[in-house]
Amino acid sequence: MGNIFDILLINPMTNVLMLLYGLLGNSYVLAIIALTLLIRLITLPLTLRQQVSSMKMAAMQPQMKALQEKYKGDPQTLQAEMRKLGFNPLGGCLPLIIQFPILIGMYQAIVRTLAVTPLSLLELGSHVYGFLPNISQLVPINSQFLRWDLGQPDPLFIIPIIVVVSTYFSNKLMTPPTTDPNMKQTNQMMQLMMPLMFGFFMLSTPVGLGVYWIASNLVGILQYYLTKPQLDRARALHAAPAVGAAAAGTGAAIAAASAKPLFEPPKSKVKVKSTGRVNRSATAQAQDKAKKN
Amino acid sequence: MKKALRVSFFAAACALVLTACGGELPPSSFPGLSLDGSTAYLASNAHVYKFDATTGAEAWRFPAAGAQPANGERLPGPFAGSPLKFGDLIIVGGTIGTTGEPDRNVYAISDQNGQEVWRFSAGQTSREYVDGVATDGKLIFAANGDNVLYALNPTQMDGAQPKLEWTFTGSTNRLWTRPLVADGKVYLPSLDHHLFALDAATGKELWRFRADASIASRPALKDGVLYVGSFDRKFYAVDAETGDQIWETDGLLEGWVWNDATIDPDRDIVYVGDVKGKFYAIDTESGKIVWSSQLGGAIHGQSVINGNRIYVVSFDTHVYSIERGGTPDANGNMPFRRVLETGLGRRLASTPTVLEGALLVPLFDGEIRLTALDLETGAKKYEFPPKPAQ
Repeated sequence: MGNIFDILLINPMTNVLMLLYGLLGNSYVLAIIALTLLIRLITLPLTLRQQVSSMKMAAMQPQMKALQEKYKGDPQTLQAEMRKLGFNPLGGCLPLIIQFPILIGMYQAIVRTLAVTPLSLLELGSHVYGFLPNISQLVPINSQFLRWDLGQPDPLFIIPIIVVVSTYFSNKLMTPPTTDPNMKQTNQMMQLMMPLMFGFFMLSTPVGLGVYWIASNLVGILQYYLTKPQLDRARALHAAPAVGAAAAGTGAAIAAASAKPLFEPPKSKVKVKSTGRVNRSATAQAQDKAKKN
Repeated sequence: MKKALRVSFFAAACALVLTACGGELPPSSFPGLSLDGSTAYLASNAHVYKFDATTGAEAWRFPAAGAQPANGERLPGPFAGSPLKFGDLIIVGGTIGTTGEPDRNVYAISDQNGQEVWRFSAGQTSREYVDGVATDGKLIFAANGDNVLYALNPTQMDGAQPKLEWTFTGSTNRLWTRPLVADGKVYLPSLDHHLFALDAATGKELWRFRADASIASRPALKDGVLYVGSFDRKFYAVDAETGDQIWETDGLLEGWVWNDATIDPDRDIVYVGDVKGKFYAIDTESGKIVWSSQLGGAIHGQSVINGNRIYVVSFDTHVYSIERGGTPDANGNMPFRRVLETGLGRRLASTPTVLEGALLVPLFDGEIRLTALDLETGAKKYEFPPKPAQ
């Protein structure tokens, strides 16, 4: 398993990081930032899907609550109705879960490339690609940046503090607004807990990983503002359906609101599957059939 | 309440995932073994051990088992590289540990009782000693991760420390390799791509040879020629007098060379391995690869010759045995066999030693620090430290 993780994730990250270090004038900080941009670009479809999914879940809260009330004693029907509504408990989590291995891979790649210890240097040598011979000449990496050694934890705690602040703002922006007071409370707790947890983690990890996390947050914030108009439109569309309609179990109002795709990606070439498809209820599909006939 | 519990659970789960990747790292420097007759000295992680090399019976360990740090100071260690016997002293270097904070001292331990006699510190700017120390019989040469080579005179004390005779500060990167000392010269490899030759008495630089990448292996010397490999995937022959290159291997090797070469005393052959697990026999006259064997893991520990066989330890836990005068196949691949088919269960990265028909193999990690293999049968003779009696 560890080997597969090495081959698929850590080795490519390690070699790309080294390659970028060489291309960017032997600046390890620039290499980390460039790799962060690359990773954000690759995971952009996942991030967008996560944002749309979180927004959808937040917008659906009143309907879901009404359904929960209605089918209190009938969990099977409740589940079926929730599914009809477009509820996917993994929709928001899955992209986040996928990002964890990337974070761990990045950590390993940074530790390996900085090669602070003999073991990590030996491991680096075992994992550099043979077809990139010039990479070996870059070793050992210059890990000095301003007053920091990127391979060591920050003794001044400046990086952990910036990690906390940037994670807080990034989370705050990414969390969709909700009217449900319970959900609101949970979100507020998460917005505080997550940055603190990451900050705590950064106290004992190399500064280089902190740089990755900060860059990742800043790119996330920028990305949010670039996609905001589309998200706003989607939110407005999805907030429309009446609670009563959902509670009545017709699903028509929901279908009406979700007939249009929730989110249309910006005019880049990144493909995001229309979330409208999953939301279409049986009624809406029947209406389509009738139109065709 | 329910929500708070859910959030706490999520936070705990995330913390678990995150701390898992920041958890305890494996030992980070390579153990070193040296023999004095049938007495073995082993620097391995937290301790330096003295034991009977024929039976594995422990004489002492430094720091002693159960030792407590005094006045909030940390205990000496971890240790790496071969311990050096210097009169009645055993000299070892502190190295970089799992926490990333190195022990910055050179220690002199009494051979008699394992007690500390003195320690040398070059201050807080110094770093780890990765590969132990070397000597010319008068001075002790300690190469440090702070790019400086320290020459200590243990016969003259300067307060509680040995006198610092001279320093060499010409390297611009880490010195992670014990120098080779011969004929009044110190040959010092550096991660800054150079091999330096210094005057052993004064530290004056005599010449420097530059490779295309870091040099982390100790050179082998024969008939005025130094043989050394580099991370540039080349192996070089260098004139020991002038520092001029005599030859380099034709074409690139599979991987970086971080392996001290072994010269065959009976043939014009030098043996060396690389970090991709390839082991080479190279003609000392021409630099041509005579044959090679693809082994299973990185080769860091120096190979040893015993009789008509060469023993090579690898990071894949195996000890390999190759016939010295064997015949390679048409593609130049030399067959090999594993001494113990199951491997030793731990990564092997340190130079083994042969004593009385046994191969003493230091293990990189785990509680067992060394395994003695019977070369006749391939069976384990003993493990050190021995398991406590039930």
